[in-house]
Amino acid sequence: MKLGSSAAELAHASIGGSRWRRFLRRFDWPLFAAMAVLVAVGLANLYSATIRTPHSTKFDNQIIWTCIGVTLFFLFAALDYRTLHRLAWVALGAAIAAIVVVRLLSDPIKGSQRWLELGGVNFQPSEVAKVAVILALARLMHDRAREELGGVQLAVGMVGLGLPVLLIAIQPDLGTSILLALIIASVSALLVVSLWPLVGAMAAGLALLPLLWEGMQDYQKARVLAFLDPTADPTGAGWHTQQSIFAVGSGRMTGKGFLNATQNQLNFLPEHWTDFPFSVWAEEWGFVGSALLLAAFAFLALWVINAALRAPDRFGTAICIGVGAMLFWHVVVNVAMVIGLAPVVGVTLPFISYGGSSTVTFFIALGLVASVSLRRQKF
Amino acid sequence: MLIRSAPGSGESRSPELHRRLGWLLGLMVVIFAVLVARLWQLQVVRGNEYFEAARSNVVDERFLPSVRGKILDRNRVPLADNRPAFNIYVVPRLFDAAARERLVDLLALTGEEIARLDQRVASARKRRSGRAVMVLEDQGRDRAGLVAQARPQLGGAVEVHDEPYRTYPHGQIAAHLVGFMNQPSSAEMAELEKQGYDASEFIGRYGVERAWEKYLHGVKGIERYIINARGERMEGAEAEGLIEGERFEPPIAGHDVILTLDLELQQRAEQAVSGVAAAAIAVVEVETGRMLALVSTPSFDPNVMTGHLTRAEHARLQGDPRHPYVDKTLQQHYPPGSTWKFVVGGAALDDRLVSTHEHLSCSGQHRAGGRVFQCMHTHGSIDFATAVQRSCNVYFWKLAERVGIDRMADTARDFGFGAPTGLGLNGEVSGRVPTRELYRKRGAHTVGHTLNAATGQGDVELTVVQLVMAYAALANGGRLYVPKVVERVESARGQLIAEESPELRRQVSMSPAAIDALRDGMWRVVNVPGGTAHELGRSQLVEIAGKTGTAQVRGRRHKEDAAAPGDWDPHRDHAWFAGWAPARHPEIAIVVLIEHGGGGGKMAAPVAREVIEAYFARVKPARDRRTM
Repeated sequence: MKLGSSAAELAHASIGGSRWRRFLRRFDWPLFAAMAVLVAVGLANLYSATIRTPHSTKFDNQIIWTCIGVTLFFLFAALDYRTLHRLAWVALGAAIAAIVVVRLLSDPIKGSQRWLELGGVNFQPSEVAKVAVILALARLMHDRAREELGGVQLAVGMVGLGLPVLLIAIQPDLGTSILLALIIASVSALLVVSLWPLVGAMAAGLALLPLLWEGMQDYQKARVLAFLDPTADPTGAGWHTQQSIFAVGSGRMTGKGFLNATQNQLNFLPEHWTDFPFSVWAEEWGFVGSALLLAAFAFLALWVINAALRAPDRFGTAICIGVGAMLFWHVVVNVAMVIGLAPVVGVTLPFISYGGSSTVTFFIALGLVASVSLRRQKF
Repeated sequence: MLIRSAPGSGESRSPELHRRLGWLLGLMVVIFAVLVARLWQLQVVRGNEYFEAARSNVVDERFLPSVRGKILDRNRVPLADNRPAFNIYVVPRLFDAAARERLVDLLALTGEEIARLDQRVASARKRRSGRAVMVLEDQGRDRAGLVAQARPQLGGAVEVHDEPYRTYPHGQIAAHLVGFMNQPSSAEMAELEKQGYDASEFIGRYGVERAWEKYLHGVKGIERYIINARGERMEGAEAEGLIEGERFEPPIAGHDVILTLDLELQQRAEQAVSGVAAAAIAVVEVETGRMLALVSTPSFDPNVMTGHLTRAEHARLQGDPRHPYVDKTLQQHYPPGSTWKFVVGGAALDDRLVSTHEHLSCSGQHRAGGRVFQCMHTHGSIDFATAVQRSCNVYFWKLAERVGIDRMADTARDFGFGAPTGLGLNGEVSGRVPTRELYRKRGAHTVGHTLNAATGQGDVELTVVQLVMAYAALANGGRLYVPKVVERVESARGQLIAEESPELRRQVSMSPAAIDALRDGMWRVVNVPGGTAHELGRSQLVEIAGKTGTAQVRGRRHKEDAAAPGDWDPHRDHAWFAGWAPARHPEIAIVVLIEHGGGGGKMAAPVAREVIEAYFARVKPARDRRTM
């Protein structure tokens, strides 16, 4: 099986010239610029969120993670994404293995098991698993579109993709598992030939919701209930939502100004730099800042979809749509949670949340998009 | 649109993908619109509300107690003072079920205390107050120590404050006058908070504590500080920068209220009636209207009423048929009996319907309107002075027939009856002066009504303070004063804030001649053999003048006969004595009422003598020594 690349493109590549200059000319600068803006906002916001707390070293850590992330972004951009077509299933297998290892090695006393310690660095395989799932999904869509894959094989592949969703759900990390499901659903909705099996799968999923509720941990149930009525227990499970709404609302139209987020600095939201950075931003920059940040995310998501449309093959298209969906749903779920429209689930805000695994994952994902974009069709 | 359709070999050719992408973009737009709308709602529509809520989240205020003013007697002996005490507070925001359980266990709280705790926390939550609220007042050292030690385990939700607490060094003495304090209800709190009160503050509930609250209360100080999410206080310039306005407003102490009361005389008076079930005494300076003693027994201990009243104690006080909660000098009216005869006597003299020399005969009974009215004795032919001296009913009934009920009512009103005296305490009642109109409304006026109205029976009702002011006016030649219990108000540093000077209500219209005739008769009551108070009311120390009264009690005024204490008979007459001393140059006027005590001459007159003697033997000489 050979990936489709136009003759013109191959010819162009053989002409050579300066590969570097060609890279610079074809590189997706708007994509990079949008990403850079978000990274800058994220760092500034993290600085403000931690400056007057004992957690100010988190800013230095995040600088290091950003450097690592940017390096990986360019590495993946330079790498021809088509070589990953062969590695997609391997990557998914490795991700599943890592999740299982975390499950086996972690100390169950602390409750949820999400981290793997690698050389002193806590690593969260479920974050990186998203990229593996996107790759495997893209390969499925690509192969199916080229009719190299039968309906039965597609179904088997989908079941394989469902495996990490399930494993992460029982970690339990409901947020990541829901996110993976949303990504798979979004990509499938756009790219599968027939929508009916998808509709059937969703109906089955909805039917399983009561089972999911039964399987949920008590703290998860409490969060869902708190979401339905945050005032019922304002010091308990509803605390996060209540305090977060206070922080966001108190930003009013133009915000309290940089470094002036009192609600967050005084620790009314514990761990706000991972799951609730948007509340810090909204408190300091108000409605104007919040809306602009959402607009930046919208731009990035649309730009990624634009790259999908110009991809030279279905594999590239699927990768871009997968990454776009990941970005979009991360933003929607995180912001909805912060402003009290969704229960508190641990979903990060791309490039804004503190944390190595999340940061690196998004850099790699956008690196893949840049790689697809670099090899786009010319007009 | 960002998606450009371009010719070529890529996915952009697929119309199906474009169609589905269109739907998906539509969904994206809707979702983002929902997010932005929600942000608009939170930040713009309700932004100010959240901004305020967020600020009260971090800026905490604590009231610094101002020391309440003292209540002092005229010699500056404290009747209400302050002492240090431990009050236990909880921070409603941090006080969860676990903290509550721990506190209940730690202090082994009683059911009543737990109920109070829950009620105050609930009230604070309802008012959305972030401030600590007092749940257990005036606790012992051991409880305060336990809470202080357990503070970390209680999560900062419970605090012990060392604050001034109201104390009444003389307990029940003058309890109805001084009053007491307790915590406002949740309904009152909203209004009080507007006036700068803290929800945990007690307010004056009764007596001077209530009536002079605005002087006594003082102004609370405020300290503002920053707290973090765990309720820990944040220090440092940065934290303080978050505070808008003053960080510290110093408290201003309340003013001291100096009463006209003389504690020693008050104590002597209370002692004089300590042997009877229920009594009231009023002693007033005849030339100023200043109250020297104001007794109502049984009463209550204001130290118990102020924060330590249990339900059982309240039920006991409430259930006592002698009504310890009622101020018998002001809140309850009584038929005055023969102390009332000066009204008809004075009116008859003024209208020349009788002269002091005219003799009327008493055969021991009087026929009027087809009924026979009985006198106490057969007095024979007597003149005005003798009739007063021996309290002959027939004589005054005959005068009443000449004077008429409405003329008597005019005289009574002129002496201040039928209207509050203006003392300004404890919801004074007006009493009742019967008129022809009153009986016409009830059906018909008969001569019997007029006769009863002459001797202070039937529908005549008055208060002890009204009567003492009227007798003071008889003593001083007709000047009716407004009674005063407060002399002056001073700041904690001794500056004069307010002064109550003697206030003349009016010069009564009764002629000096008539008043002199009455005074002469009343001198005889005590000082001439045959007078109703001669036997037990006469003093070797000072000449006393006055009038006894024995007021019949109609029907069953109290229904709790079974629960009544030993010598308490609610069907027995009220015993009265009203008078003044010295007889010729009056200084003080006095009224003694022994509720259901029996005969006035036997029961009330000796008490009056004892109090008057205490005044002239001890109180007055002590004062003269001080002013010398």
